[in-house]
Amino acid sequence: MRCVRVWFSKTGQAKYISHLDLMRCMSRLMRRAHIPLWYTEGFNPHPYMMFALPLSLGSESNCESMDIRIEGDITDDEIFKRLNDNMPIGLEVLKISEPKMKTNAITYGEYELTFETQQSEKLKQEIEKMLSADELIVSKMGKQGRKKVEKQVNLIEKIKEYSLDEKDGYVILNVVLPAGNTVNINPSLLSGAIEEKSFIGGECCRTFRKRLLTEDMKEFE
Amino acid sequence: MKYEVERLLKYVQKPGRYTGGELNSIIKDKDKVDIRYAFCFPDTYEIGMSHLGMKILYGLINARDDAWCERVFAPVDDMEEQMRKNNVRLFGLESGDYIKDFDFIGFTLQYELSYTNILNMLDLAGLPVKACDRKELSPIIVAGGPCACNPEPLTDFVDMFSLGDGEEVTNEILDLYKEHKKKGSTKEEFLKEASKIKGVYVPSLYDVEYNEDGTLKAFLPKGDAPEKIVKRVVEDLDTCYYPDKFVVPFIDIVQDRAVEEIFRGCIRGCRFCQAGFIYRPIREKSPDVVNRQAKSLCDTSGYDEVSLCSLSTSDHSEIQPLLSDMIDWATKDKINVSLPSLRVDNFSDELMEKLQLVRRSGLTFAPEAGTQRLRDAINKNVTEQEVINTAHKAFSGGWTSIKLYFMIGLPTETLEDVAGIAELGQKVVDEFYRNPERQKGRGVTVSISASSFVPKPFTPFQWEAQDTMDMLEEKQKHLLSSIHTKKINLSYHATPTSLLEGVFARGDRRLGKVIEYAWRNGCKFDSWDDHFNFEVWQKAFDEFSLDMDFYANRKREFDELLPWDHLDYGISKKFLERENIKAHNAQTTDHCRIKCNACGANKINGGKCDAMC
Repeated sequence: MRCVRVWFSKTGQAKYISHLDLMRCMSRLMRRAHIPLWYTEGFNPHPYMMFALPLSLGSESNCESMDIRIEGDITDDEIFKRLNDNMPIGLEVLKISEPKMKTNAITYGEYELTFETQQSEKLKQEIEKMLSADELIVSKMGKQGRKKVEKQVNLIEKIKEYSLDEKDGYVILNVVLPAGNTVNINPSLLSGAIEEKSFIGGECCRTFRKRLLTEDMKEFE
Repeated sequence: MKYEVERLLKYVQKPGRYTGGELNSIIKDKDKVDIRYAFCFPDTYEIGMSHLGMKILYGLINARDDAWCERVFAPVDDMEEQMRKNNVRLFGLESGDYIKDFDFIGFTLQYELSYTNILNMLDLAGLPVKACDRKELSPIIVAGGPCACNPEPLTDFVDMFSLGDGEEVTNEILDLYKEHKKKGSTKEEFLKEASKIKGVYVPSLYDVEYNEDGTLKAFLPKGDAPEKIVKRVVEDLDTCYYPDKFVVPFIDIVQDRAVEEIFRGCIRGCRFCQAGFIYRPIREKSPDVVNRQAKSLCDTSGYDEVSLCSLSTSDHSEIQPLLSDMIDWATKDKINVSLPSLRVDNFSDELMEKLQLVRRSGLTFAPEAGTQRLRDAINKNVTEQEVINTAHKAFSGGWTSIKLYFMIGLPTETLEDVAGIAELGQKVVDEFYRNPERQKGRGVTVSISASSFVPKPFTPFQWEAQDTMDMLEEKQKHLLSSIHTKKINLSYHATPTSLLEGVFARGDRRLGKVIEYAWRNGCKFDSWDDHFNFEVWQKAFDEFSLDMDFYANRKREFDELLPWDHLDYGISKKFLERENIKAHNAQTTDHCRIKCNACGANKINGGKCDAMC
């Protein structure tokens, strides 16, 4: 048995596949591709499959990863080929690697948020102003023990770094936010806050996860 | 997916219902096909995608190079609201194109309470709901499925109905249409020709006359429309089209597994069961074909479960060898085999062992009635001892929960029969605790589901009065008070929905305006409790001075002309009369393998019926 990390992208209409649905989709993919998976032993055997960090519904990404356990002889190249031959539209395996880091090494995620607007230059200025202020408070559903409670979060404190750009009438916000098991900030909190607070009017039409990063800002491998 | 649809998706729940692009969905070049077909299921994606008939016809139409079939489901409220607000019309999931521009819009009629959704979907498509207001050749609205055996309530809206098995007739309809489209025929010209295809019913070619008491007087064909419309049957399931691929949805649907049909028809003749009659004669698929098809479905979908589909799985004459082979390859591939529709009288030890080899699924049995007398009257040839024996076997095999299906409101039923349901449930509970081999440390759960009986066309009970809502409620209360243990869970249906189902099941053409009124006043998704609005329906009937009791709660005489008497499903009326009389005498009828009871169904299949070989 060996562990393999499958890197894949999730773009286009595949962004409407929720995390739960993605897991089901991937286990069917493994069957169609006849990947010799290692099954858990026990009453209800199932293949081992672990996703590094769930991606929220509606977001695209080119840095998703999933760990699987292989039993039997099959090369990484063969896995790569068989999986891509059987992939549904919008999902694509980018590479197969050995897992170098544990998934809890993930500390940050880098996202590209694209805003649609009538006046891109003005919206860009507006966002710049919002992000250079001291506070951008949003409320977020969090847990307190077992209870679900609404918490106030100051996004400015959470943003590790950002850059703003304007392209073809769109405003593009590149931002690094905490991601992972301990602190995770969904980029939709930020895009939602910008949509809500903007006077010019802008709508986030694309959320793209570009990279997962470790604590010292190295790429997760 | 089109941008105008995509921009709505962030405002709706489960966008996966509307995106298309699922594995094995079929994309064609629209400029290279002659016929665009929208196959519509008048309910949500999750329900419609579970339906086998749609998978068959979707594959069958798309197997033609000249046609492209797309799937369409009823949008849920949030999506409908967005669509109406933004002027987005109902679209096909594959192309995203509006279905109003298609050649055919096909609906499958699975249950009566989906009728308002058909109107709503036509309206969302941007089409007039009434057939007479759609003047152009296309789109032709066609409907089929079990409820097409009495399509009269829908005749205002649907251009043509397809009766019986759709596999062959669908291709004939498309061929004819292609010809007429090429030569620029009118809708009337096409429909007139189509009515000559066996199995096609064009309601606009018939006039209906009524007696003063509201019963039917005459059905009059116009011109050379056939007097009797005979349903279609596929002669041989082994050679008949069956898909080798299913569209595999991303979101969780109701029946998310490979489904392999093993035979059509039923040998049992339970008198309440419409499916048991309208799908006759029996046609079996051979075990090797079943295994080949099922394996291919699993391979192309990646499903880890395959379900055998038929009206009574254990009645397949070669079920043991069929399952032996299946378990062999399924176990190797870690695929779970599930067998719905098992009967208590032939659920054998071997069958049970085989079921346990992979993963354990739930066990459900349907004694249908609580006492032997009533089970005899409905011809459910199952004894109490058989139910107990089966429960015993199941408990010995480690099962600790069993579902039992019953009906209340059956003809000749008394309160004693109703109490019998609770008694039988209790005996199953007792059987568990008496069984020394039962799984220790766990209690037993017996789930009793008591649905309300609705008399249906083409059954021996087609003349019977349905119990009124008051009677059903009294029986439900009586059943509840007859249960004295917490080991039994009871569930039953709301009575107004059963009443309405009964009205439409045996309704006539006058109900079209009632359906339209109810829909215009907000009725849709009537089978969903949170949508069902009985007051509006009552108002709709009042509006046209029609009476629900007349349709549901009235007993008919044998000589009354019934709204579906011009349709020939093979089952002879004389046979149904004989069965009805026997029911009232609590006499049973042997099943078709013991003795042929001359139901007549084999005559539409060239005299062939697999029950008799």
